[in-house]
Amino acid sequence: MNIRAPKDFWSGLMFIAFAAVAMLAARGYSLGGAGKMGPGYFPMLLGGVLALIGAILVGRSFVIDGERVGRLHLFPLCVIAFGVCLFGVLLEPLGLVIALIVVVLVSALASRESRPVEAGVLALALAAFSVGVFVYALRLPLPVWPALLS
Amino acid sequence: MTSFRFSDALLWSALLIPFAAPQALAQAYPNKPIRLVLPYAPGGATDFIGRTLAQHLGDTIGQTVIAENRTGSGGIPGTDYVARAAPDGYTIVMMDPAIAINPTLLPSLPFDTFKDLQVVSRVNSAPLVLVASPTLPVKTYDEFVAYAKANPGKLNFSSAGIGTSPHLASELFIQRAGISAVHVPYRGIGQSYTDMMSGKISFAFSSFAGALPFTADNRVRPLAVSSLKRGAIYADVPTVDEAGMKGFEVDLWYVILAPAAVPADTVGKLNAALVKALALPEVKAAFAKIGAEPVSSTPQAGTAFLKSEYEKWRKVILDANLQQK
Amino acid sequence: MDVFANLTIGFGVALTAQNLLYCFTGVFLGTLVGVLPGIGPVTTVAMLLPISFTLPPVSAMIMLAGIYYGAQYGGSTTAILVNIPGEASSVVTTIDGHQMARQGRAGPALGIAAIGSFFAGCVATLLICVAAPPLAAIALNFGPAEYFSLMVCGLIAAVVLARGSVVKAIGMVVLGLLLGLVGNDINSGVRRFTFGARGLADGIEFVALSMAIYGIAEVAYNLEKKAGQADVMSRIGRVWPAWADIRHCIPSILRGTALGTLLGVLPGGGALLAAFGAYTLEKKVARHPRTFGHGDIRGVAAPESANNAGAQTSFIPMLTLGIPSNPTMAMMIGAMMIHGISPGPRVMTDRPELFWGIIASMWIGNLMLVVLNLPLVGMWVKLLRIPYRLLFPAIIGFCCIGAFAVNGNASDVLVMAFFAIFGYLCLKLDCEPAPLILGFVLGPLMEENLRRTLLISRGDPMVFVEEPISLGFLIVSALLLVVVAAPAIRRKREEALQE
Repeated sequence: MNIRAPKDFWSGLMFIAFAAVAMLAARGYSLGGAGKMGPGYFPMLLGGVLALIGAILVGRSFVIDGERVGRLHLFPLCVIAFGVCLFGVLLEPLGLVIALIVVVLVSALASRESRPVEAGVLALALAAFSVGVFVYALRLPLPVWPALLS
Repeated sequence: MTSFRFSDALLWSALLIPFAAPQALAQAYPNKPIRLVLPYAPGGATDFIGRTLAQHLGDTIGQTVIAENRTGSGGIPGTDYVARAAPDGYTIVMMDPAIAINPTLLPSLPFDTFKDLQVVSRVNSAPLVLVASPTLPVKTYDEFVAYAKANPGKLNFSSAGIGTSPHLASELFIQRAGISAVHVPYRGIGQSYTDMMSGKISFAFSSFAGALPFTADNRVRPLAVSSLKRGAIYADVPTVDEAGMKGFEVDLWYVILAPAAVPADTVGKLNAALVKALALPEVKAAFAKIGAEPVSSTPQAGTAFLKSEYEKWRKVILDANLQQK
Repeated sequence: MDVFANLTIGFGVALTAQNLLYCFTGVFLGTLVGVLPGIGPVTTVAMLLPISFTLPPVSAMIMLAGIYYGAQYGGSTTAILVNIPGEASSVVTTIDGHQMARQGRAGPALGIAAIGSFFAGCVATLLICVAAPPLAAIALNFGPAEYFSLMVCGLIAAVVLARGSVVKAIGMVVLGLLLGLVGNDINSGVRRFTFGARGLADGIEFVALSMAIYGIAEVAYNLEKKAGQADVMSRIGRVWPAWADIRHCIPSILRGTALGTLLGVLPGGGALLAAFGAYTLEKKVARHPRTFGHGDIRGVAAPESANNAGAQTSFIPMLTLGIPSNPTMAMMIGAMMIHGISPGPRVMTDRPELFWGIIASMWIGNLMLVVLNLPLVGMWVKLLRIPYRLLFPAIIGFCCIGAFAVNGNASDVLVMAFFAIFGYLCLKLDCEPAPLILGFVLGPLMEENLRRTLLISRGDPMVFVEEPISLGFLIVSALLLVVVAAPAIRRKREEALQE
């Protein structure tokens, strides 16, 4: 059997995967009855529906023709996701200025067109702008400098 | 994918080197702004009380006090943040009865209320009001109790979620009155008023601030207040205690807590400034707007109070079998 | 008519120099925070609440109200320019708005959003003047059963608005519902799907999720195009919408306004459903629905009109009943209480200068917004001239700050990174994010109302069809389903006949 609609096939698998995680986790929550529904009732129901939809998509993908999945370019995606994670990890210990410079520089690596000096200037400018707007003007509780220094 | 040159790599890494910031000099406490963590969403009663207090505490302690919202369910993330903060007295938290309820209600907490934190002072006292749907054929507290007893299992009560003070107040009330009723949780008591007006919800314990807009024109009926003495607001409504349920008292209090390792003299300075701030007439007037009254205490009396509240709610939770597994 | 006397009082209050200044401050700040990611009206109102205590109550309320509806204006700007919806209700605007920007038509998109919002704001305000009490009565008739059925209806509408496969759209709605359930269950207190992570106890943060699957995933998708191709946006066409565009949009603006006005009155998700509903409606009445999703200007005009009309009428339950329709309104109720005013039916009679002053100020505020925003369109469009290699790291940086700033929680940033990857896969698989977002926002509300209904009815599901309003929504849902299914069935039959 050939997969004739790869986009549907993979979407279906993705739904089934989410449904499986949801239903496995929801096993631990009590179902209850209609009068006093437990915390597991609605998730179980939704998980079942999602699995069914996933199965329909997968099944259908063998019968009906559909589009192919375009090439995945994982490099820029992963670089950016990594940069975002770094920001999350660095912000509280090192402060906004450093975390922002890091995320801007790291995500700049995701594009072939970025130039180091330009990205550096951009990072510094954004850090100055953000400290000015978010910390001083809007008074959001963001640490600006490394926690050890203040 | 990306063509990478060594010179570029050097430049990149040079850019990623962090820079230094000026070092703060050590002086007598408090020599820098104090952060008062408010563990609930902005806009509610906690936020109002906390911000009012922060402003006046700043004056009495001689340093800026910054109110900072660190929200999260049950106030846990905010409290946990302070429990782990440096024990230098620059990070404190204002918490509501959830701090006494959660240790019994929840299977685990990231901190130990009594070991990781210490009470600096109490902040206020704010009673709740028992309100009933206008669709019920009752006008007074006595009629309500009689009606509830005659119709077991027919009534519904709303709350701001499981384990919140309004919920536990109703549970305590039900247990002591010998009534059976169904608990219907909402995201906030305010949301439940529409259903109370139409009769789907029969009664609830609500904060004064939440109930006033609806009792002002009798769209819901105030039956009794949960303090032992009547206050300025709802002066014509009896207390639950005087209406027959002796000793029934539920309070939406706040306490200021600091990390347990903060030295006693720092706590003393904070406590003195808090006591002074809570005695200000402006603070009293501001608190009165939402039906609260400033109450200060010594750290020891605050701790004893917290323990008694913990014991009280522990019993209610265990009797109603509400604890989470 | 009474209305004129009342409006005279209102404008008398709103047109004083002091109140004009506070109104301007409000709408200006609102626009600003609407544009900045992560900081919504809730945060801003909270920050300004302490200042507002020192003002006279009318000025305070005028300013806070301005922040609220000003943010609705600002939210659509980023939705169109960089595909980041500032608010749940501008999610729909990204669908056609950002497509227009990519085709070099960001100017007309922003322009029509401003014009549509202005018109909708004026009409909705007028309606509050003449019909606030009867409209408030609608909200009073909505119990848990009605809300549940309304949400069923809204979710089915979300499937209709999908561009591609209906099955996938349903899948995305259901997945959104599931994601919405992460965190504390208010009925039992059980923490669901947190997998031990404390950062998930309050659920997945909306701002983090929407910035991830719209903003960041979009950036990753753009970066894989060959050099030069990503800069399509910098080809700027005209800055203003042409008269033909505006005329083309008039019916859409009217329909959007009508829907937004009605649904805005309902507390909880009303304004959001209005934007989704308006888009679906346009797609259904359009002669060539295929242009939707590919930069149809009506796809911007209708939801923007609807969400601004909804933003105005969501003041009705607050001002006339004292019921908060969303967190910002809850804060405004708090502000009124602190000024010693009990919101409720008596505000209108006891404090007419406050009630009518706020309403008159909304009209003035809408005018200010349009005057403030239309000249800004030129500036925003110029922003797109910035080379993408400089624009995209800035987008990522702002998304990070925004995700952290909402709750001051670093784990929200990590959640955003996870969903960026998920969002990219969805883009590649043609799974549309809009139905997912609607499901995500409505999921918890839907479950709560379902469980609440059944708790109150002691487990009897018949209440959903016994209550007339609820039954009405269920019938509409069934009809919508038929509408969705009909073309597919017809196609199948044609295929069968050909064979």
